[in-house]
Amino acid sequence: MLDQLLKKLIRTGAGRSRNTMALAGLFIAMFLILAAVQVQSNYQQILYSRTSQDSIADFLVINKIITNNNVGEATLSAGEITDLKQQPFVEKIGTLTPSRFRVGVQSISKQIPFYTDFFFESVPDEFLDVNTPDWQWNATSTFIPMIIPNMFLDMYNFGYAQSQHLPQLSQELIKSLPVQIDIQTPAGIVNYYGKVVGFSDRISSVLVPQPFMDWANKKFGTGLNIQPSRVIIQTSDASGSDLMAYLSKHNLSTNTEKTRFEKYRSIINAVVATSWVTGGLMLLFALLIFTLFIQLTIASAKEEIALLITLGAAPKQLQNFLRKQFLPGNIRIVVITLIIVSVLQLVVQKTLAAQKIFVQGYPSHYTIAAAIIMLALLTVVNIRAIKKYIGETA
Amino acid sequence: MQLTIQNIIPVPLKDKLLQRNADVWNKAIQFKQGEYVKIKAPSGTGKTTFVHIIYKLRNDFEGDVLWDNKSLSSITANALAILRQQSLSIIFQDLRLFPNLTARENIELNRVLQQPLYESNVIDTMADQLGIASILDQQASLCSYGEQQRIAIVRSLMQPFNWLIMDEPFSHLDKNNIDKATALIEAECKKRNAGFILTDLEDDEHFNYTKLLNL
Repeated sequence: MLDQLLKKLIRTGAGRSRNTMALAGLFIAMFLILAAVQVQSNYQQILYSRTSQDSIADFLVINKIITNNNVGEATLSAGEITDLKQQPFVEKIGTLTPSRFRVGVQSISKQIPFYTDFFFESVPDEFLDVNTPDWQWNATSTFIPMIIPNMFLDMYNFGYAQSQHLPQLSQELIKSLPVQIDIQTPAGIVNYYGKVVGFSDRISSVLVPQPFMDWANKKFGTGLNIQPSRVIIQTSDASGSDLMAYLSKHNLSTNTEKTRFEKYRSIINAVVATSWVTGGLMLLFALLIFTLFIQLTIASAKEEIALLITLGAAPKQLQNFLRKQFLPGNIRIVVITLIIVSVLQLVVQKTLAAQKIFVQGYPSHYTIAAAIIMLALLTVVNIRAIKKYIGETA
Repeated sequence: MQLTIQNIIPVPLKDKLLQRNADVWNKAIQFKQGEYVKIKAPSGTGKTTFVHIIYKLRNDFEGDVLWDNKSLSSITANALAILRQQSLSIIFQDLRLFPNLTARENIELNRVLQQPLYESNVIDTMADQLGIASILDQQASLCSYGEQQRIAIVRSLMQPFNWLIMDEPFSHLDKNNIDKATALIEAECKKRNAGFILTDLEDDEHFNYTKLLNL
């Protein structure tokens, strides 16, 4: 009953068009900010979720960029590796150990004769994308298992073999072909058998098991070229801008294909940032208009409020009344915005799912948290304005 | 609830009032609950100023006003509101009705500002007693001054109080209506065991005053 009488005395309708404008501005601001949060959260989900992640994007082989100035000495020092290890985007790091002896490989098959000088590298097993029981070596092994890049086979099959009228080779065929490995030692050539046991998409090198490499380097090594020239890292974020910035700052390079997301990401970041800034500014203006609107309402009922206080109305009663006039509008706006963002998110989910990109069909926790924070902010600003102007009038 | 005034004197009227020999200005007086106090003074000597000082509508005075030994000078806005809702009711000389509300709404407002003392039908009973039942739903600004005065009287009686403060409350009423109003006021004061402070220009015998003061 008191509220009905107060409604007649303190007319919030005095600036109905202003109120509508303030609510519209608030809605746009709220939408921009919540959409920005949601887009960001969707992007994070696409980047990091297991369902849509490219398995090779996790591992990057890193080496120095070879320039005219560092030819022959493009190696990574222990200090550089330690520094890289400490970067937040590096989860694991492994060095590619090069062979410190000369190697030749020749065919033992009469049908496909070849001989070539060769090299080996090794990495810790955890960085391999090939999982086979044949990948073992110890001093009693009869052959040395090798992993070669898929790219080698492709180059041979689709480039070399066709132009030279040589037969194309399948992975299975290559795995079944043993080769002879000649290691040059100061005491002459030592022969071993070798076998390709797998093909890697991750590391473009000829790999042998780490135990063999350690053993052979010790036994046959010439002490040359002790520093590794390449390392492999496992990273949580192959397209992160931190990583790219670090690499270019330290004159390092990696397979750029894996970091291609970085470009898209910077565009998305720019769009999201613009949305944030615009939304933030609009929110600021909406808050300002609201404060002015509250001030106007109170100022236009100045005499009535003064008389109400004279008759015994408590400032608290009037504040409560005004809160009830202004706050439900804010809550409605936030709820409506959240519903619209939810519907859009469902549409986005359906659209992206058609392209095999998976995001959740409901707003993220961050979006809901942002909505709650904004509502709290609005409430605080409104309550403070009401308190301030009632206090000034009373 | 008792009212204590300690040497109060309004600053703007200080020089003028100190020259007069007054019962109230610059004196220490106690008013006990239930007293019927009449303050008489000619125009321009500060009746309304006195009423506004003890109701804390103005602060430009020296001295102190204490309700139940609590000074008005340091009271908070919300405590003052509680004092006005529960202990003090007032009829202003200039009435101070909301012109845009009806007579009934003006009265109703003072009924519901606090936990209501009376049911809303008491408004009709009292209005009937004072002969304003027919204009209850009329906008206050359209009522005659005499009607507005009676609306203000009914409004002041709608709330709980220990003291009723009346500033020339019958200035626009005829003898017949004054008798009806005093009867109603006295009955309401008795119900609450409350007293009143009434200011006027002349002597009168509307009530059995327990204290007569010249301002």
